[in-house]
Amino acid sequence: MAALFGSTVLRRAWLGPSSLCCRTPGAPVSAAGLRFVSNAVPEDNRSAIIESTEEYKYVERLIPPSRIPTPPKQTGPTPSGWIPPADSPPPLPYTIRRSRMHNIPIYTDVTNSNRKLTLIRKVEGDIWALEKDVRQYLQEVTGKELPTQVNEVTMTLKVKGHFDKELKDWLVSKGF
Amino acid sequence: MSFPKKPGGKALDVLQNLPRITLANLRPEPGARQTDKRRGRGQHGGNRSGRGHKGERQRGNRPRLGFEGGQTPFYLAIPKYGFNEGHSRRPQYHPLTLKRLQYLIDLGRVDPTQPIDLTQLVNARGVTIQPLKRDYGVQLVDEGADIFAAKINIEVQRATEGAIAAIERNGGVITTSFYDPISLDILIKPVPFFVRGQPIPKRMLPGEDMLPYYTSADNRGYLADPDKIQQARLALAQKYGYILPDISKDELYHMLAMRKDIRQIFFGLSPGWVVNMPEKKILKPTDEKLLKYYSS
Repeated sequence: MAALFGSTVLRRAWLGPSSLCCRTPGAPVSAAGLRFVSNAVPEDNRSAIIESTEEYKYVERLIPPSRIPTPPKQTGPTPSGWIPPADSPPPLPYTIRRSRMHNIPIYTDVTNSNRKLTLIRKVEGDIWALEKDVRQYLQEVTGKELPTQVNEVTMTLKVKGHFDKELKDWLVSKGF
Repeated sequence: MSFPKKPGGKALDVLQNLPRITLANLRPEPGARQTDKRRGRGQHGGNRSGRGHKGERQRGNRPRLGFEGGQTPFYLAIPKYGFNEGHSRRPQYHPLTLKRLQYLIDLGRVDPTQPIDLTQLVNARGVTIQPLKRDYGVQLVDEGADIFAAKINIEVQRATEGAIAAIERNGGVITTSFYDPISLDILIKPVPFFVRGQPIPKRMLPGEDMLPYYTSADNRGYLADPDKIQQARLALAQKYGYILPDISKDELYHMLAMRKDIRQIFFGLSPGWVVNMPEKKILKPTDEKLLKYYSS
């Protein structure tokens, strides 16, 4: 008897909260043996907030730029070693564009920890002339005949070995 | 000079004059394909098939990796030591070299005429901070101190002595300040935070372990005494052998002297304010209790 009574009380207590959830918020609670304050949130006191547009300029400083900024005009190399491209492109049958971040697009790659490659991307024009010049330049610098690979579809040039520093200096001296 | 791109180039010209390419016409370059060694198929892949003569080697019953025939193996003989213990509770500071900072300034990604903050560095995509990986900010490292030549007002979380010397030698100002992880997350990505519509929280002060670092003038801590910082600047100039330039006579002195309040996260915006980005407004509270809390 006592157990049955206890179980019905428990069941009503369980059902109480579920009926609360089903009801719309803000409606006062009737039965279920629970007591809570059913006041709604106090109204927004409009005069308690000041609106201002003066300091918004500080917020505008925090917004990240969506475009890559163009580097400021400078004469000659910068302290960090970055050299801007020449104003007029050099009179060669090919050209090498700068990357998005205004750098020379020469990259090194290592495969299987012993296969070194240097990749020149973003070539336009006569890529075979560039290949000939690169081979000749590296022959002068290293004294070796280095194998190269030209890809005419992607307009890239691969050279065996790591020569990014030499080739970057060479291209910058040409004015690319 | 624009070069019209001919897709395929000279290879395509050659191809158009050749007969039709089919599988019967194609062959790899001699020496391009090396056939794999197939074991157990006679002559030198056969006989014992590379397994050796009898024993565990041929029968494939060798013991586990690291077993040394019964001698206590290396990985058990060496005692344990907690090198990596608590690694996930250690604060990490992403290093920023002076060379990279100079590169960012030269390319116009970071503006030296405004105070440089972690927000400015992240907006310039110069550093990537992950607050969820226990990053507590950025540390300035003195690699490239010899080529650094920019007068800036920079605020980082840690700095080496050489980096401080390099910045002050060029007439700049460096401050180290603390950001707790929540403030750091807001500092790095201010726009998603403003979109949330929450009031700017106040920055928490450093804990016991970091307080001595940020109260000492040698580290240019933001909690240190300004007079002691001036003395430390003179001492560092003597140590590294350069003449400390006088900032007060500089035209950008006002910008160089700008520093954030101890509880402020952004320049110009106080804690407790809500930013409304679509309407370009800032909402400020007037309730006494709120003002007292946010200014404490």
